[in-house]
Amino acid sequence: MYYEFLVVTLVVWSYVLVAWCHRTAADPPAGADPPGADPPGAGTAGPAGLRGLIRARGWGLLLTPVALVYAALAEVNGGNHLGILAGVALAGIVMAFFPRLAATIVPYALLVLGAYGLVLAKWLHDGNNSQVLYGVVLAGAGSWRTHLVLPQAAVFFLAGLWLLLGVQAPGAEQVRALVAKWRHSGRGGIVPAQRWLLLPVVALLMELLGPHDWFGTDWITGAGVIDIDIVVGLASLVLVFRSRVWAATLAEAGLLVFGVYGLLILELGTVPPGFAYGLSALATTGGHLVISGLQGAVLLTLGLWLVPRVMVEHLVDPELAARAQQLTQRVESLTQTRSDAVDTAVSELRRIERDLHDGAQARLVALGMSLQAAERLFATSPAAALALVTEAKETSSRALADLRDLVRGIYPPVLADRGLADAIRALALDSPLHTVLDIDLPGEVEMPVASAVYFSVAEALANVSKHASARSVRIELSLAAGMLRAEVTDDGAGGADPARGTGLAGVERRLATFDGILAVSSPPGGPTIVVIEVPCALSSAKTSSC
Amino acid sequence: MRIVIGEDLFLLREGLVRLLTAHGFEIAAAVGSAPELLRALVDERPDVGIVDVRLPPTHTDDGLRAALAARRQVPGLPVLVLSQYVEQLYARELLADQAGGVGYLLKDRVFNDETFTTAIRSVAAGGTVLDPEVVSKLMVRHSRTEPVTRLTPREREVLALMAEGRSNAAIGQRLFITEKAVSKHAAGIFAKLDLTPSEDDNRRVLAVLAYLGS
Repeated sequence: MYYEFLVVTLVVWSYVLVAWCHRTAADPPAGADPPGADPPGAGTAGPAGLRGLIRARGWGLLLTPVALVYAALAEVNGGNHLGILAGVALAGIVMAFFPRLAATIVPYALLVLGAYGLVLAKWLHDGNNSQVLYGVVLAGAGSWRTHLVLPQAAVFFLAGLWLLLGVQAPGAEQVRALVAKWRHSGRGGIVPAQRWLLLPVVALLMELLGPHDWFGTDWITGAGVIDIDIVVGLASLVLVFRSRVWAATLAEAGLLVFGVYGLLILELGTVPPGFAYGLSALATTGGHLVISGLQGAVLLTLGLWLVPRVMVEHLVDPELAARAQQLTQRVESLTQTRSDAVDTAVSELRRIERDLHDGAQARLVALGMSLQAAERLFATSPAAALALVTEAKETSSRALADLRDLVRGIYPPVLADRGLADAIRALALDSPLHTVLDIDLPGEVEMPVASAVYFSVAEALANVSKHASARSVRIELSLAAGMLRAEVTDDGAGGADPARGTGLAGVERRLATFDGILAVSSPPGGPTIVVIEVPCALSSAKTSSC
Repeated sequence: MRIVIGEDLFLLREGLVRLLTAHGFEIAAAVGSAPELLRALVDERPDVGIVDVRLPPTHTDDGLRAALAARRQVPGLPVLVLSQYVEQLYARELLADQAGGVGYLLKDRVFNDETFTTAIRSVAAGGTVLDPEVVSKLMVRHSRTEPVTRLTPREREVLALMAEGRSNAAIGQRLFITEKAVSKHAAGIFAKLDLTPSEDDNRRVLAVLAYLGS
């Protein structure tokens, strides 16, 4: 009773301490770390002194009661208590000097303690009458406390699992991934009947293995056995509802094993006495053997039937499904950007057509008319004819200027001649702003991408000189990790809204065709930063590919 | 005056030959690709090479490159570059060697015989001639910066014409003022921009361009 009191007190106090630590840790201004996620012993912001020291220990504080339980387990029948003292002292040292290690040990220690509880329960059940201190009870044959061993084991096990996640101990990620996988109830094309097969399989398992092997009691009279049956049955029900693929997989494996088992009974003709197998009590009489064989055949057939269905689920499910989803999304985005690209191209062509029609074409018509009039006046009034010819010359100059502007908007000559880097240099030279360039492009960029990036930078630069009231602008062009990146930074007033106006939206659409993106950061007061990123591979030679 | 022409479009090449012959120039060679042009420029040593920026074989800036290569082999070889577009970037490259004897004009300046032939003669004499379009871009670039803002409007006009490579006489003619008045404006400009005055026309142009190009 002394031990029990000690352990209960220590556990309660430790837990109160831990809870207090986490509560105060969550209080401002100590930090915004969520409880459980703050690494014990990380020594982050917090009050100094004793309170800070204790808080830094976090879940590691539980090491004392856990160590006490272990020490007590080892020496309950020994009599002297040096082992207990040594255990607690060791725990104290670990806690004090290696807080992180202490926190990591606790969950694993609890898991081991839980597993030990299961073994202990069977051991006591089998009639061993030594006294054992397990958790907070002194269990021994014939004592009512013995019934508290299993529930305690379960509590230890669950607490261990929970803490494993809480302290981010090694292995926590795997547990989390497994749980996430199992909780994915809706996934998989398994029909309900297939996963429900797990229940008869579990029933058969309990019938075959449960009573005799584990507890040595008849399943009809053993109360503890029924408890276990209920727990396992509930667990399988959870599986059936939460993870149909896993339920069907277990059912399939069970059907195969039990099917083979039934056929083996028929083949060998010998069975351990007192066991049952499905519908038949196991006995060596001919009738029972035949029924066992038939049952085995049915189960095996069912199992084999289920194999391909489950296999398909497992093969298809996680990666292929994710890949298929990715592909679907990709197709959707490609459809969108393709239609945008086509729209853009069509409206570009319309603009060019209109510009030609109203500009150069009209001027050429005027030119022809002037020359025609000059031809008519040539003989009669040479002075008037000369004036018309001069006018025609000017008209042709203006037609050329129109065409020049048009071509610049289609594909700038420097871009065609020299590629992206020099085209951006030329752009900077033409800008009225003071421009600083930082271009680091070791090769050629493919023409379509170069054109898209050029016009994006040109638009950004035009916006700066139009709206930003900036004095200077910095253009960076670089390639890192297969990403062509252009950055336009100005020292203007900031507060630009990319949603307003059509210029940047057009740029965004233009870039999307190449899976490129545009980002704008423009806090009030500046600076405004426009970032353009396009996936692109450079080639050092002229044979470029993106 | 002997001239080498590098122009790939037959119509334009023949047009240039006809125009220049009519004005008494002698055509030493008229070729249609960059390698031929480079050879003709180096072998013929013309008084002026008239070069189209875009030439075969790659149809990018081969003509410009050939002209620059020729000037590296024959320093100061006068070259007048013609193009459908004028780019400040290319202007800078042509002016980079500070040797003079460089012109850079839009092709349609050919329409004005007088401007064109004056430009050819100026380049042949070692002068620098820049297209007004390049100059206006240079001026825009500096229009808002000190100390260009301190210039009077008339001084700015004179500055632009100086940058195009015109002599004081030509500037005076253009602005309907006397040559002496132009010198006075020029002196004022040089004082305000803190440039070293120079009597040599070409040095003056280069100083102005170096200032505007910075």
